Amino acid sequence: MTRSRILTTTGVLALVGIAATVWLGLWVTPNAVNFGDLVRLLYIHPPMAWVAFLAYGMAFLSSLGYLWRRTRDPRLDRLAGASAEVGVVFTGLTLITGSIWGRPTWGVWWTWDPLLTTTALLFVLYLGYLALRRVPGDPEVVARRSAIAALIAFVDVPIVYFSVSWWRSLHQAPTVDLSGRHLYVHGSMAWTLLLGFVSFTLAYAWLTAHRYRLAALADREADEGLRQALDERRAEGEVLV
Amino acid sequence: MSTPAAAPPPPGTRAARPGSTSPRRLAVVGLVIVAALGFLVYKGLTSAIVFFRTTNQAVAQRAQLGNSTFQLEGTVVQGTVHRVGTSQVSFDIRQGGATIHVENAGDPPQMFKPGLPVVVVGHFVGSSDVFSSDQIMVKHSQQYIAEHPNRVRASS
Repeated sequence: MTRSRILTTTGVLALVGIAATVWLGLWVTPNAVNFGDLVRLLYIHPPMAWVAFLAYGMAFLSSLGYLWRRTRDPRLDRLAGASAEVGVVFTGLTLITGSIWGRPTWGVWWTWDPLLTTTALLFVLYLGYLALRRVPGDPEVVARRSAIAALIAFVDVPIVYFSVSWWRSLHQAPTVDLSGRHLYVHGSMAWTLLLGFVSFTLAYAWLTAHRYRLAALADREADEGLRQALDERRAEGEVLV
Repeated sequence: MSTPAAAPPPPGTRAARPGSTSPRRLAVVGLVIVAALGFLVYKGLTSAIVFFRTTNQAVAQRAQLGNSTFQLEGTVVQGTVHRVGTSQVSFDIRQGGATIHVENAGDPPQMFKPGLPVVVVGHFVGSSDVFSSDQIMVKHSQQYIAEHPNRVRASS
């Protein structure tokens, strides 16, 4: 079973880490120049966006693994579905926290800026992916078409990330960029942000593992149900004979 | 569920076995989806890409722009911010050596202050170089600097 001690530990660490991030973010860290108190959403908004990217990256890799050399491993399909589902939740949270942050800092809840537009597209794309996963059919066909959809949807992820540098945007450049060389966050604020990244990543692992386990149980239940139905029909046949 | 002994497909339709999809058909479907998505992204982004014009661009394109509404970016110049009446604010924005005077109806956002870049939504008034806006969006950088980094140490 996947209900292991390591998973429980991950969950506890994630919750404690997020609680500590909130405490540090709201009470311990100082106000920032230009932002004042408004800086405090920094500690959760970028980590949430990162988790969404991570989740879609995982869905992309497992879908690739599923299609690659015809592995057709149902575990990879399950992992892709579980990960994308968590990704959609965190994309939603990113859009909500971003909107809440945008109102006092930028002055608007929403604007059709390239980053915001591509992120909204990301949300809709993966909602579509999750809907596609529920279109009934032969399990292997469903898994294959889902895997292809996951590869297509992932195209938007680098577009979202680079939109602020490719096009004119209201949104600032990523706080933590890919090279990690340009971090303009002061002392305790930087540590709190780092804790936010770690805690939300743990939360991602925890949620995805549980969602995976649920999918595995549902698959097994479907198999058992089919076997049971077949047995019952056979038994009926024997009674008649 | 169809059984293997089902009736042969009616003439004119291709005999596709249930549950099997030819790689070619899948590739075509994939291509169509990618093309459709690409088209949507392209259409959506061409308007978002020119999310704003910079101050110097707007000055250079003044004649073309006429009285059309667009988004304009520039940095609020120190000492030019004036409150007019109860809910109007006027200020100059500068970028790339060009300056435009902006008159905004409505209160500026919380973070609005001289020295920070803003994007204003509005249009030039008549044939003048005054820009009338009804929305200010404050741009901020990804630099988060503590307001009083030494306060804790100093007070203890």
